[in-house]
Amino acid sequence: MKFLATVLVSFLASAAAFGQSETQRAWELEKKGDAAGALALLEQDAHSAGATPDSLLALAQFLDRHNDPNARRAYSDALRLADAEDTRRILHRLVVLDLLAGDQPAFHKDLAAYRRAGGSDLNLPATPPAAPEASAPGATTLVPGPLRSFARMAALSPDLNRDQLLPALARNIVTNGYQAASSNEALEQTEYLKLIVRYLSQARELQALAGKDREIRIDTCDSTQTADLLKVLGYRLRGACGSDLALETVNASRAFLTTDSGFPLAGLEQDLRTNRPFHYAYAPTEIPVLYGTKYWMPSGETPGSAFIDYFISDPSLCRLYLGLAKLDPSTAAELRRAIALPRLRAYAHVLDFFGGMFEIRNGVAVVPGGERCARVWADLAGAPPSNPTSFFDHLLARDDGWLASYYDSLSRISGPSLDYLTEPARMKRFYEAVRGKVTSPGPARPVFRSNTEMILLTSRLWVLPDGKPFIPGDLDVWRRLFIRHPHGKYDSKLSKAASNWKQPDDVVEALFGLCRKSVENEPLKIFLALTDIERRRANPLDAHTVDVLARHYHDFGAQYSVFSEVPQLSPATMVKYLDVAADVESLRDPGIRADAGGSLQGLIGLWLILYRQGQIHPAAADKTLAGLLDAFSNIGSERDIFDAGRAGVKTLLATSHGAASGEPQERLTDLLAGASEGVDADVQTALQETLMRVFEAQRLISLDTLFSLADSFDGAAKGRKPDTQLVARAAARISEIQLPRAALSAAERNTMAYGYWSERHIETERKLNLRALLDKSSASPGRLEDARALLAPFLRDTLVGFNYAYYAPPGAELLLTNPVFVRSHDFVGLQGSSSLWRSTEVQGNGWPASAGGRLVGSLAGLPYALAEAEENFLVPTREQALIWSDLVPQILLGATVSRWWHVTPAQMHWVALHMQYSEALYAEAALNPTRRAQVLAVLARHAPPNGVSLVQSALESGNVREAVDETMPAELFFVAQDLAAQDSSRSEPLAAEIRREAAESPNDLNYPAISHAFGTPKPTLANSYEPQLLYLRTFPALMGYSSRILAESWESSLLYYAELADDLHVAPAQLNVLVPAWTRATVEHIFATHLEDWPALLRSLRLVGAEAMARKNATQPVSGGL
Amino acid sequence: MQLIHRFVAVALAGIIAAGPALPQERPTFRVKVDLVVLSFTVTDNKNHYINGLKPSDFRILEDGIAQKINTFGEGNKPPVRVLADGTTEPLPAGGEEFAGSKDGAGTASGISSESFVGTNVFVLFDTSNYMYRGFVYASDAIKDFVRGLDRADSVAVYTFSRNLSRAAPLTKERTNALFGLGNAVAGDDSALYNALLLTLRDAAKVPGRKVVIVFSNGPDNASMVAPDDVRAVAEDEGIPIYVISTSEVNKDPLSASVFKRIATQTGGKAYFAKTWQRQVEAFESIREDLGNSYTVTYYPQVNPNEGFRRITVEIVSDAAKKYRVRARPGYRPRTGF
Repeated sequence: MKFLATVLVSFLASAAAFGQSETQRAWELEKKGDAAGALALLEQDAHSAGATPDSLLALAQFLDRHNDPNARRAYSDALRLADAEDTRRILHRLVVLDLLAGDQPAFHKDLAAYRRAGGSDLNLPATPPAAPEASAPGATTLVPGPLRSFARMAALSPDLNRDQLLPALARNIVTNGYQAASSNEALEQTEYLKLIVRYLSQARELQALAGKDREIRIDTCDSTQTADLLKVLGYRLRGACGSDLALETVNASRAFLTTDSGFPLAGLEQDLRTNRPFHYAYAPTEIPVLYGTKYWMPSGETPGSAFIDYFISDPSLCRLYLGLAKLDPSTAAELRRAIALPRLRAYAHVLDFFGGMFEIRNGVAVVPGGERCARVWADLAGAPPSNPTSFFDHLLARDDGWLASYYDSLSRISGPSLDYLTEPARMKRFYEAVRGKVTSPGPARPVFRSNTEMILLTSRLWVLPDGKPFIPGDLDVWRRLFIRHPHGKYDSKLSKAASNWKQPDDVVEALFGLCRKSVENEPLKIFLALTDIERRRANPLDAHTVDVLARHYHDFGAQYSVFSEVPQLSPATMVKYLDVAADVESLRDPGIRADAGGSLQGLIGLWLILYRQGQIHPAAADKTLAGLLDAFSNIGSERDIFDAGRAGVKTLLATSHGAASGEPQERLTDLLAGASEGVDADVQTALQETLMRVFEAQRLISLDTLFSLADSFDGAAKGRKPDTQLVARAAARISEIQLPRAALSAAERNTMAYGYWSERHIETERKLNLRALLDKSSASPGRLEDARALLAPFLRDTLVGFNYAYYAPPGAELLLTNPVFVRSHDFVGLQGSSSLWRSTEVQGNGWPASAGGRLVGSLAGLPYALAEAEENFLVPTREQALIWSDLVPQILLGATVSRWWHVTPAQMHWVALHMQYSEALYAEAALNPTRRAQVLAVLARHAPPNGVSLVQSALESGNVREAVDETMPAELFFVAQDLAAQDSSRSEPLAAEIRREAAESPNDLNYPAISHAFGTPKPTLANSYEPQLLYLRTFPALMGYSSRILAESWESSLLYYAELADDLHVAPAQLNVLVPAWTRATVEHIFATHLEDWPALLRSLRLVGAEAMARKNATQPVSGGL
Repeated sequence: MQLIHRFVAVALAGIIAAGPALPQERPTFRVKVDLVVLSFTVTDNKNHYINGLKPSDFRILEDGIAQKINTFGEGNKPPVRVLADGTTEPLPAGGEEFAGSKDGAGTASGISSESFVGTNVFVLFDTSNYMYRGFVYASDAIKDFVRGLDRADSVAVYTFSRNLSRAAPLTKERTNALFGLGNAVAGDDSALYNALLLTLRDAAKVPGRKVVIVFSNGPDNASMVAPDDVRAVAEDEGIPIYVISTSEVNKDPLSASVFKRIATQTGGKAYFAKTWQRQVEAFESIREDLGNSYTVTYYPQVNPNEGFRRITVEIVSDAAKKYRVRARPGYRPRTGF
């Protein structure tokens, strides 16, 4: 018998040797996703009289693989029969599990046993001495009153660690505390800050009432204490003491502070009414201050409770505090020691935005490119990295922050892109392009950092194996684009220089040069969009196609996500797509244009969904799309639109596999709900119901009815008897389409800026009287020949409606409440603008100026826009929770775009194994310095220096659970991925298991497959809705469209849910129902303080996981495991 | 009105399932005809409430079709069953299940006659920036209202700015509601109609009589739904909306007209009360309304209309013909699987 690595292999090998043993059968069951069945077999085997070392170990390993707390007990049982070698290995594993469980007695016992058994690589962690500043006088400050009240007033999450309170407050003060005065250039306090100041004053008064006992006490209702307290609170008694008593406002300003800070007024009132003593602990809150209060106060000023007032009164001080708090602590400490406060303060804005990646290691500044670039960095900054504090001092001051922003962008990347960009000569050249001649305004001047484009360029540049950057098409394409751009020159100097471009570097240099412009960097967007189209293609696009795509980006760029997501598309189809789009755009009648564009986009949207779900085979994708486009290539009338739409539906259904035979409506619904062999019927029914519920709420007309009506009219035109029953049913349905807000007053109607063309679209539909049409045509049936033209707008709505229903966010309040939401989709936009092929936008929230929200533009960004429209219907579970408007739509996107029909149980388990492996690595790292260095080095590729530093401190002090909690699930996964490969020479059992499973199912268990299954859509970063992992560090808050980029860099949710689902032993298909529910719960539990409060999201994620596990445990009979 | 699933009656035939017969396991969307709960008040020409009327004094019509009253209640008194001959008998104590609370398979859903004793009051308090100055006075007025509710009533306190917050879930304990109200925090944007919609959705899940009271000064800069879509939900669910606006009618005529419309068409009322005293009076008026309303339930007679069904409450007694009835105008039958 060999342990896990070898044992699991031997587990199968030995099983094979003994024939169909229980372990072999259990393994087969586990592979199929029947973990409970596997466990039952293993338990039976292990608890039988003839239990063998293998059977005991097999049970322990199974429980271990499934994160079951009973694994430790099972390993202990296995020790009984284990030989010396296995004893040592089992004890090694037990030590790791004890540490992860926080079971100190067991840990010490097993560690001692392990050492007795010959193990020498694990040692007790040395608790590091406390940082000198932490115990220094003035290391903390007092804020009057309880933390809860202060946190409410300052808009801080009460879940923050005490260490994080002051940085979070500093951030709020910097971003929300001050505004430009209307009369001069000075800053004045915002209402937010004024309230904090007033609150602190009131809290001090209450503190005085609380006295030395730090408790506010009212013994009897009619005491003087009552009057004193109420005066401070801004209330008075109404009615005599007793049951008629009520507290009422007498000083609105004070009363507001009382209520808003959460003073227990209701409790006070209740006690006064019942004449019971009122006791309320009112102690000041002690908050740690980085480097102590003395460092921040001017000499001569007295630190103490006044520190907080001083702190919030100075936004530049807050900014410096924030900047230093973001740094890796040891780096920050060195900078603080070497650079005087006034100088640091002068560059606080640069430090705040770009200091997060600063790191001093082994007495040298860590610079992108390492040693080979040290000289260039020294030249650029004016000080060598070998003198780290001087280097960073110069970096902060250089070029108004441009050099620091360049350093920041390059520090965030690794691999071939970093190698390319940090070739010394090139790095200098590109920086000069960024810097330009005039450095002002610097990138740290605005409220949010303005190096979005530079971060995008450096992190998304595709460097080929030959070390050169990928340039879509050829240099001529880019020369032409810069010289003869149809929408005006980007930069006159670059246009002039473009004619001399000879190398890919020339293009990249130009893109860097444009990064610093405050105008939109369209060439960069084109470059990245075309790069993303090319990334997964078997053969690169020819230069001509790239040229066409580049020139049409301005008009049709929003559609390019389709090209990125489907690499099988031929250049001819892409060009055809643009040609047809241009043809439709040129239709003069806006109504016909909207119907044609809407119908075509509806069909393309469905085609993309069916492709994504695997129902349209990749090999058939190009032909199918070409077929859809062909049908719309010669549109001249509504009748053409109807025929093209119908032909499109036929094409889609003919190409798709997985739907049973039947009528189009039913088949399409089944396809969208994931119809294919072997799927979970309950899940499919749940999804069908969701689709149908939305369809019904939107009063859409089924495809069958529309097609039958068209046939009936055609038949009637040829003299056959029309289907009057069908007509009556359709007419009834049409009558249900409500005129939006029919009862509006004239004033309301005049105020509203409702979409003219979408309103007209609905009006036209509402006016259609099919019965009258039939009656009128009875004398001359030929008039019905064009009747199906009247059905084209309805067909458009139905096709668009299927897309809306498919991407409906959890809850879908909007779709279920506003019956004309789909019909209101405004493809045309305001008069004079052209929205038909633009990205989808949410417009019109608020009343009455908008008449309720609607979506405008094409369907290209529909999933995101729907999520954005729906986010405010989520209900935070805590009263002050901040629904994170910039992040939530992207998180919802992970639940509405992805489906998990083709995910296997083994894939979920493989993800969970990675997480477990990382946790085990952390535990080992706590006990073994060599391992620790290895783990931290890998983590540093995925987490910022500050995060790595937190993990390092936790590991050094043996707090493994804390270290794990500080790490994002995506980071855990990435660390495991990197180290599982490196561990191949070792016998680390979980790494071996990861490799073994991958070898057994190479098609499913590989990183691209996991990326597809549990990655997230990244329409902004990757120009595609295809779910994927990009292995990114979470981004900082940036300017412009950057909030979406920030949100897209969060890759942890679905990986976490995969692990959770594995722990819960749910079938992968159930993720289609569970992930939307978990996602909703996650969002509703977030209590974030600011835009980059990733720990708040992580806390929420883990809370949802804990709740799901608790529900599972509550419904599961107590047994040995799982 | 409360629609409780009872039995599936009329299939919405062709629209969804116009094709051949569906496989058995496929979900089918249908119109459901459920128990209708209708609350209304009767006043004389001086706007005084008229109490003491009997079931036989009323005739309920849906699209002109006379309905058979199943139960009848007045104010917070326990409802009585109306027998075929027009006489009444008390519903058994402890809560007999309404027939309407059973689905087609006869499964009891646990809704008892006790659900119809008292009113479930959902207070929706605007804590957005727009209410900043009046926040504490509004809070005082709401507290007074909660304290003064009938013992039989339950109350929930929700607050909203950009998002809804369920400050105090539905409870009979006044103290819990007051403590919940104490958690209210001033917010930023106002999404009044989003919040109202979510409140109605919560209220719709509760059996028995319920009302929503909105306390706001009107502006809405963040809602994605329009007031009249929300009003339609209230109509269909039979939930009267009362609005207390802290703004004057002429200061914000648009919000005022919307408030009046959604209140009137759901069987509620709109009050414009800028001062604390007026707000207290408005709450007092709502309390009176709740204590002086009649509640009837009935199962709709066969009606081919799958769209909006107009409800008419007629007083049949000659002496009462000059009385005025205030009820919601109708509803759309619920659809589902």
